[in-house]
Amino acid sequence: MIRPDAELLLEINDLHASVEDKPILNGVTLHLKAGEIHAVMGRNGSGKSTLSKVLAGHPAYRVTSGSVRYLGRDLLELEPEERSRLGIFLGFQYPIEIPGVSNLEFLRVSTNARRQNKGQGELDTFDFDDHVRERLQVVQMDPAFLERSVNEGFSGGEKKRNEILQMALLDPVVAILDETDSGLDIDALRIVAGGVNQLASPDNCTLLITHYQRLLDEIIPDYVHVMAAGRILRTGGSELALELEKTGYDWVDQQLAAEGVG
Amino acid sequence: MTSTSTRDLVSQPYKYGFVTDIETDKIAKGLSEEVVRLISSKKNEPEFLLNFRLKAYRHWLKLREPNWAELGYNEINYQDIVYYAAPKQQDKKKSLDEVDPKLLETFEKLGIPLSEQKRLSNVAVDAVFDSVSIATTYKEKLAEHGVVFCSFSEAVVEHPELIEKYLGSVVPSNDNYFAALNSAVFSDGSFVFIPKGVECPMELSTYFRINSGDTGQFERTLIVAEEGASVSYLEGCTAPMFDTNQLHAAVVELVVLDDASIKYSTVQNWYAGDENGIGGIYNFVTKRGQCRGVRSRISWTQVETGSAITWKYPSCVLQGADSVGEFYSVALTNNRQQADTGTKMVHIGPRTRSTIVSKGISAGQSSNSYRGLVQVGPNAKGARNYSQCDSMLIGDQAAANTYPYIRSQQPQSAIEHEASTCRMSEDQLFYLQSRGIGFEEAVSMMVSGFCRDVFNQLPMEFAAEADKLLALKLEGSVG
Amino acid sequence: MAMTEAWLTQLPDPTGALEPVQRRGRLALTEQGFPSRRQESWRLTDLKRLEALFQLSLANDSSHVSIPDSWPTVPEQALRLVVNNTNDPLAGFDLPEGISILEGVELEQALGHTLSRCQCASEWPVELNHGVNQQILALRIRGKVPPIELVTFATDAMFMPTRVLLLVEEKAELEVLQVVIAKGHAAHSHLLEIHLGQESKVQHGLLALGEGKESLLANMAIEQEVRSHYSMVAVSHGWSFGRLEPNVVQVGGQASSSIHGLSVTAADQQFAVHSTMRFEGPEGTLDQVQKTVAADRSHSIFNGAIQVPRQAQRTNASQLSRSLLLSGRARVDAKPELQIVADDVRCTHGATVSQLQEDQLFYLRSRGITESSAASLLLRGYCKEVLDLLPLDAASRWLDGALPEGETNP
Ligand SMILES: Nc1ncnc2c1ncn2[C@@H]1O[C@H](COP(=O)(O)OP(=O)(O)O)[C@@H](O)[C@H]1O
Ligand SMILES: [Mg+2]
Repeated sequence: MIRPDAELLLEINDLHASVEDKPILNGVTLHLKAGEIHAVMGRNGSGKSTLSKVLAGHPAYRVTSGSVRYLGRDLLELEPEERSRLGIFLGFQYPIEIPGVSNLEFLRVSTNARRQNKGQGELDTFDFDDHVRERLQVVQMDPAFLERSVNEGFSGGEKKRNEILQMALLDPVVAILDETDSGLDIDALRIVAGGVNQLASPDNCTLLITHYQRLLDEIIPDYVHVMAAGRILRTGGSELALELEKTGYDWVDQQLAAEGVG
Repeated sequence: MTSTSTRDLVSQPYKYGFVTDIETDKIAKGLSEEVVRLISSKKNEPEFLLNFRLKAYRHWLKLREPNWAELGYNEINYQDIVYYAAPKQQDKKKSLDEVDPKLLETFEKLGIPLSEQKRLSNVAVDAVFDSVSIATTYKEKLAEHGVVFCSFSEAVVEHPELIEKYLGSVVPSNDNYFAALNSAVFSDGSFVFIPKGVECPMELSTYFRINSGDTGQFERTLIVAEEGASVSYLEGCTAPMFDTNQLHAAVVELVVLDDASIKYSTVQNWYAGDENGIGGIYNFVTKRGQCRGVRSRISWTQVETGSAITWKYPSCVLQGADSVGEFYSVALTNNRQQADTGTKMVHIGPRTRSTIVSKGISAGQSSNSYRGLVQVGPNAKGARNYSQCDSMLIGDQAAANTYPYIRSQQPQSAIEHEASTCRMSEDQLFYLQSRGIGFEEAVSMMVSGFCRDVFNQLPMEFAAEADKLLALKLEGSVG
Repeated sequence: MAMTEAWLTQLPDPTGALEPVQRRGRLALTEQGFPSRRQESWRLTDLKRLEALFQLSLANDSSHVSIPDSWPTVPEQALRLVVNNTNDPLAGFDLPEGISILEGVELEQALGHTLSRCQCASEWPVELNHGVNQQILALRIRGKVPPIELVTFATDAMFMPTRVLLLVEEKAELEVLQVVIAKGHAAHSHLLEIHLGQESKVQHGLLALGEGKESLLANMAIEQEVRSHYSMVAVSHGWSFGRLEPNVVQVGGQASSSIHGLSVTAADQQFAVHSTMRFEGPEGTLDQVQKTVAADRSHSIFNGAIQVPRQAQRTNASQLSRSLLLSGRARVDAKPELQIVADDVRCTHGATVSQLQEDQLFYLRSRGITESSAASLLLRGYCKEVLDLLPLDAASRWLDGALPEGETNP
């Protein structure tokens, strides 16, 4: 939902970042306001996941120039856990398996960290149990998954649901969802998309990273950005995604060539 | 695949088992300080080299023969070995025309033609017969690029400063029992020097041939790649069939400076003894390379099919930051052969990386051991190693042992090791057969599939060769 | 060496049922001499610490080993026996049905049998135990019996030798947890033999807890007959010097063994696990996972041999060694040894040495968990996978679910 007077939540300006001294992001600019849903599309390797990791503060990625402001403060100087507590959420493209660490405990510790930051009290194990069972419905997940180790032995789809469950618990201000749709069958996709829609509100914003139109049939974006060679090459409305579905990405090469990149 | 049929079958006769009838200049059997001096004087060596030999000899006397490898063999009588033998046609041969035609014929029979017309294009060959190098091809062409490729003896005369600087700098003369022995009595071998910034324009190759029945072969190879240089080098070996055991104790040293790389490949097919374990070469070799410079690289590839006993661990000392060591090995043993081989990767510098891929195939009553060490020192921050050792057993009398030793003192490093031992899968064999592929062919397809990762590392000319060699060695060992 | 002899001579004269064993053990110790680093299995050992054992005095009748109140209660129906060098652990007990004492000729026949089958009867630590130990707890197990908890406790710089023999009969089922505790620079020398009859089943746990300055020598010989199932879970923590040697032999085929280990070292501790698994019959299986965590300047050693001789066709064995190095001054040595002669086998082996996974740390941090809690959460998870396998609910009863913190923090 686009509102001209909406608050600017996340402001990415001319962001450059590299990994192992290899430049990957080459000047990304993106402004996200409250209530908006943005989709970032682009070929494999164009830098979408890198952007999401940089925003979440992954230590392997180095920001070489540019800025990211979040609710008026410098996001880049915060530790990953501080970002999370302040409301930045990254749904991982490849959620990490952590054997031996109970999913339930993990969810409780992280939820409480965020709640504390919002000035809400911590939930004890019993209250949290109720809370998490209620939130499970957002993704229609079997409570049995709470008893297992974090993501261990989960199928692709189960991992993605676990990500959205975490989003539902952490109640983020900026939710970045990296390829949350990949590996999902059509029913699971509907469930996940329903969850995202349910969690979207006029006070938060969502950055959807995706490859496929099919997710955007379920979650209608306000803006679609096309990423290539570490930059946003084009921005449009939801119709841009449909156009991409038809024409593919070949024009990207032409444009990059014309600009002398790639 | 019943065990009886396995036992009944004999492997393919060794086709390189002939002896060349040629007059040789041999010194008397036995080892003493006099013998060391005699070898040195026969080769007109400078003082420093004689001293190097004597020091090594004196040290050797104090050492005891190692017995820790998983090997059982008859005691070696070091006084019953001839330490120097050379075909009589002495003096430097100015051109190939002057080389005894019998020798040229020998190498031709081995598939290594040396004459101008027939020699391999794009591969320069140094041919070593018993204790001496008899010819090196393409020397002039290489010289145009500043590349030195010649026999060790020649290098001693023509580049003494390089020899003095690098000899023993990677494998000190007191390194181990057989390295000390080699340092005292080594006769010849190859020397390669690639100057700064030069990419060697052709493959280099040395072909070792033991001919005499009672000689030991103690060759010495030294390869130096200066900053930014690169070279690919291949050695091959064969020997006639004798019913006594012969000792081969070589030393190979590699030195690699900044951004340089050496790729060293071996196809070892020394005579392995007969099916009852009579005769064959004892192959006790020390091979080590030092990545001295930053971003330098050493890659060892070996296909070990011959010798009665092989005892060999080509190693990389990864000193320079970001340097890379690789070891790709196929070791095949059959009948009574014993192979104890593997590698050492010593990570000293930061972000050094190593890869080990070892494939052992044991058939008959042979024994095949992988023994490896991956060591990560306290300064090797960000070091990584990946090792994979697979063994395949053919028949129920063969043994496969795996000793992958890991030692780490650096938390910011990652070492990963995987090993598996299995037999050739009956299902896979059956699948191939049901598609009309003959049994032996199916086996050789599976073996070569099993070794694919390693063969891919060989220079192209030799990959097919290695495949054939393996098939030949295994012929009749499965039933 | 001289020290060994001096120490041996001041020991009380051999007595009791183990008298001949003691005599032979002392003789063997004198003959073998003190271990040397030239011997492969002692090459990495800090022998000074082994020598230091001879400064301790042997636990005897006058040593007061009072049982701390803090010990957790045993689960209902389980039997707790306190094993030491002097008292009869069975005094005052009515043994439940199925458990009986092995005595006289029966004991004589069984004693040392499994050690020999495991080819470890003349290992130095075994001879040491032979030489000094006066007591043995020897039980015969028939049918399905209540779980047993064997507790061994040493304190006040004493040297505590203990020995246990379990003869598990055909089709019997046993769950046994050993808890070995030491405080105040004490040392344990423990020797265990378990004979598993055909189709029997044993779940065996070892929880060995020192306080940082103690020593542990434990040799465990396990002999498995046809179609028996044996599972061992061994957790050790807080030993200044430790050496744990599980030796399992499947004498008949079609047996299954599973060995799970966790050893945690900190400060300047050294702990070594030397395991040997030998298959002497066909179609046996092994599932082995050895985990280590090494912090500070500690040194963790794992030596894992698997032997598959010709008669052990269709063996299926897997061994995995995983080491976590938490500090730049810690050291890990892992040395698997696979010796295989049978052709129709599957043996896989894997080893990793690393620090905590950066990706896992980041994942937790991206959910608001601080770096240090994320690290300790990961570490706990890493250990928990083994702890949870301990029988008799040991982890929650003895450890509140996790190993003591602090020592294991990166
Ligand atoms: N940790 C990393 N190490 C090395 N290269 C990386 C790393 N992460 C990303 N890259 C490289 O950066 C480029 C962009 O990758 P990524 O951001 O994952 O693209 P996308 O998500 O759009 O498919 C790729 O070329 C990828 O190989
Ligand atoms: Mg991506």
